[in-house]
Amino acid sequence: MKKRLMTRAAGMALAVSVLLAATACSSQEDSASNTGSGENGSVNAGADAESERETIKVSLGRQTLQNVSFPNGDTYEDNAYVRMAEKKLNIDITDEFEANGDDYDRQVSLALTAGDIPDMMKVGSLDELKELYENELIADLTGVYEEYASDYLKSLYDSYGGRALENVTLDGKMMALPGTNGDSGPSIVWIRSDWMEQLELKIDEDQDGCITIEDLEMIAKTFMEKNPENADNVVGIAFAPWLTSGDPDGTFSMNSIAYALGAFPKTWMEKDGGVIYGSVTDEMKQALKVAAGWFQNGILDPQVGTRTWDDITALLANGQCGITFGTWHIPDWLLNNVYALNSNATFEAYTLSDAAGKVNCKHNNATAGYIVVSKKFEHPEVAIQIMNLFYDELVNSRELLEEYPEVAEYVSTGVDGSSRPFNIEVNSYTSLLDDYGDLERCLNGEITVDEVKTSEQRSNATNILAYLEGNGDATAWSKYHSRSKGVELLQTLTENDRFSWLTPIFPQTTPTMETHLANLEKLEEETFIKIVTGDIDVESGFDQFVEEWNNQGGTQILKEIAEQLQ
Amino acid sequence: MIDNKSFHSRVRITIIYIIVILLGLGCLFPLLNIVAISLSGSAAVSANKVGILPVDFTLIAYDKIVSDGQFWRSFMISVIRVFLALLLNLAVTVPMAYAMTKSKKEFRARNIYMNLLIFAMLFNGGMIPTYILVRNLGMLNSIWALVLPGALPIFNVILLMNFFLGIPKSLEEAALIDGASPFQVLLKIMIPCAKPCLATVSLFSIVGSWNDFFSGLIYMQKLEDYPIMTYIQSLNVDIQQLLKSGASSSTLENVTELSNRNLNAAKIVVAVIPLLMIYPILQKYLITGMVMGSVKE
Repeated sequence: MKKRLMTRAAGMALAVSVLLAATACSSQEDSASNTGSGENGSVNAGADAESERETIKVSLGRQTLQNVSFPNGDTYEDNAYVRMAEKKLNIDITDEFEANGDDYDRQVSLALTAGDIPDMMKVGSLDELKELYENELIADLTGVYEEYASDYLKSLYDSYGGRALENVTLDGKMMALPGTNGDSGPSIVWIRSDWMEQLELKIDEDQDGCITIEDLEMIAKTFMEKNPENADNVVGIAFAPWLTSGDPDGTFSMNSIAYALGAFPKTWMEKDGGVIYGSVTDEMKQALKVAAGWFQNGILDPQVGTRTWDDITALLANGQCGITFGTWHIPDWLLNNVYALNSNATFEAYTLSDAAGKVNCKHNNATAGYIVVSKKFEHPEVAIQIMNLFYDELVNSRELLEEYPEVAEYVSTGVDGSSRPFNIEVNSYTSLLDDYGDLERCLNGEITVDEVKTSEQRSNATNILAYLEGNGDATAWSKYHSRSKGVELLQTLTENDRFSWLTPIFPQTTPTMETHLANLEKLEEETFIKIVTGDIDVESGFDQFVEEWNNQGGTQILKEIAEQLQ
Repeated sequence: MIDNKSFHSRVRITIIYIIVILLGLGCLFPLLNIVAISLSGSAAVSANKVGILPVDFTLIAYDKIVSDGQFWRSFMISVIRVFLALLLNLAVTVPMAYAMTKSKKEFRARNIYMNLLIFAMLFNGGMIPTYILVRNLGMLNSIWALVLPGALPIFNVILLMNFFLGIPKSLEEAALIDGASPFQVLLKIMIPCAKPCLATVSLFSIVGSWNDFFSGLIYMQKLEDYPIMTYIQSLNVDIQQLLKSGASSSTLENVTELSNRNLNAAKIVVAVIPLLMIYPILQKYLITGMVMGSVKE
């Protein structure tokens, strides 16, 4: 009896579920959205080729940015840049998915898992690129790049001496269009120059932009003793909890101190024919010793390790701290908080030089962000044409801006670059200093503002000139500091040949990195904080850390990287 | 002796009150802080000067929200979603719970269904399979992706079932003798008697679907389809991450200018207002509903 009931009930349940499945499984959208046009990717690269063929539908995966303010109802999917591309190239762009930052990576991996990617999309890392390649989802772009890429676009990539395209070349095939990532110099030491004047402190008498660790120590000590803004709880020097950064210019990091002592934390590099990791070297121990010494004599923030990013910004803004470290453009978006509370504040930019008077710095990875094209997409050349349009024509052609006034307005009002179809940057390796040279000539009066090449630099020039005349606003203050202090310093150092450049290794994620690297990084950051705050002794503590690091997978990772290089 | 006892109990009550008040303040403080930040000047906020009272009082942040199209679009999506989910949840939960009150004699497959429910409550397919299912059903980017996967809240079914069981059986029997059909019993007897419990499960449903941000994150592929909590979640900027991914100086400028802490705080404040309005209305039912529904099998 009971058994019969069971089977009947189960049968009922089954019937219900089949019914549900049947009604719900109505239509499965076919996402291969491109309409294959008659002449498959016409080879004719002539000017009117686009308008002759049918409109090509292009679906994109786009990494967006929080809170971008578009004028009058524009969106990521439909804005001036997109409209220009659609008209110019006779294409029809739809967004298959959009998301911010990390959320975007999740969308990419969901698409990857489902094996169905949009016609073109950005991926954030080389590992994702490799996974797409191994799953045979993306197209080989070698041919179309050769044929369609403009000479200028090619020259941009070539300015990296092959390093840019090498990254996206898998088994001899170019599998993505990389965004470039030029060098942005070392972590600059920003010091409140209005305080230095007030206290009649003199450093860097030879004006070469380099100071020593002792100079820095002296300034920090004097700032703390004299407390120029009568703030509560003054702090000499503050670091973020992670202390070191893998980027040479890591903001709020102690990188400049480490680099001045010859240590390259969080860096894979070659030394004496072998691969080493910069955080476990003897030089790093010396750098930590300096920081630990500062902690003991009170120069270093007693709350280091718990002081967050926002807290450090607050220290600077409140005038509790007058020294900080960061990349050349932090006056634009971080130090402007200081100006907001105290419009008399000014900063001077320095770097720390090593014992031989050189400024140590390392190259960035040449690429950041990759545009891939789906294998199913029949017109891969469109991707190259979009690149030509945005990274060549839009930059170099003033006629284009006249033809598309709404794009010109986007450029002049600074609508974020992420609104372009491809959210990557492609610049020449020397673009930072080249652009600055242009700006400098204008500031010196050699050329007029109108003769400055890019619109961004034109607006910078106007702002800086206003600042120099004494009637600038917050933006003028920021631009003056980031360009005429920050980039000026990088230029001086380059001209005087003071840089000593390291070319690190940028390995692909190895199997042991996948399983062990997160733990090793945690171990590193925790140990370094403990060493700096005196919880554990520098000498024995660091040696023990190196041993643990090696045993917990470090040695194995180094071995795997060495194998990768062969 | 009696005095002594009441003195003791008074001390005890005082201590308990102090602890409870402290805990209450602990919960209240972050909320007040957010409200204060939303009403303060941005310079004071970046200098960490704001506690529970606004510094440099300004309404600029709220002014900006009014003109933020996406905020209101997301807000409306969430409102629609809450209503849809509530209707759907009640429509599914009530009949299911009522059926489950029937004994094995009346409803022979009851235990099988019960076990299925419990099984589905404890185990699920995981994120990726669920995503692929939703995608293959063609629900990506539609409001149904936010509503249908959670259409049957099993916990609520059990809560409501237990409440129904608590209603005297004689009521139902009397109705049946008077010639009521099972449907009429449900509509005219059970539902009116179960109002407190229905208020409770409604509140669960409303709060749950209003606060849920994760399903929006994976099923909605465009920013303009984000429900409000997903939108607010996505405002959080990780500057470290941006620096690492090689963001340009102008991008960082845009991000730090537009995604400042006051504005985000104001958005949070506006987003919790609907819930704050619903709670007092439903709260009186909430306690009775929970307690009465939780005893008796």
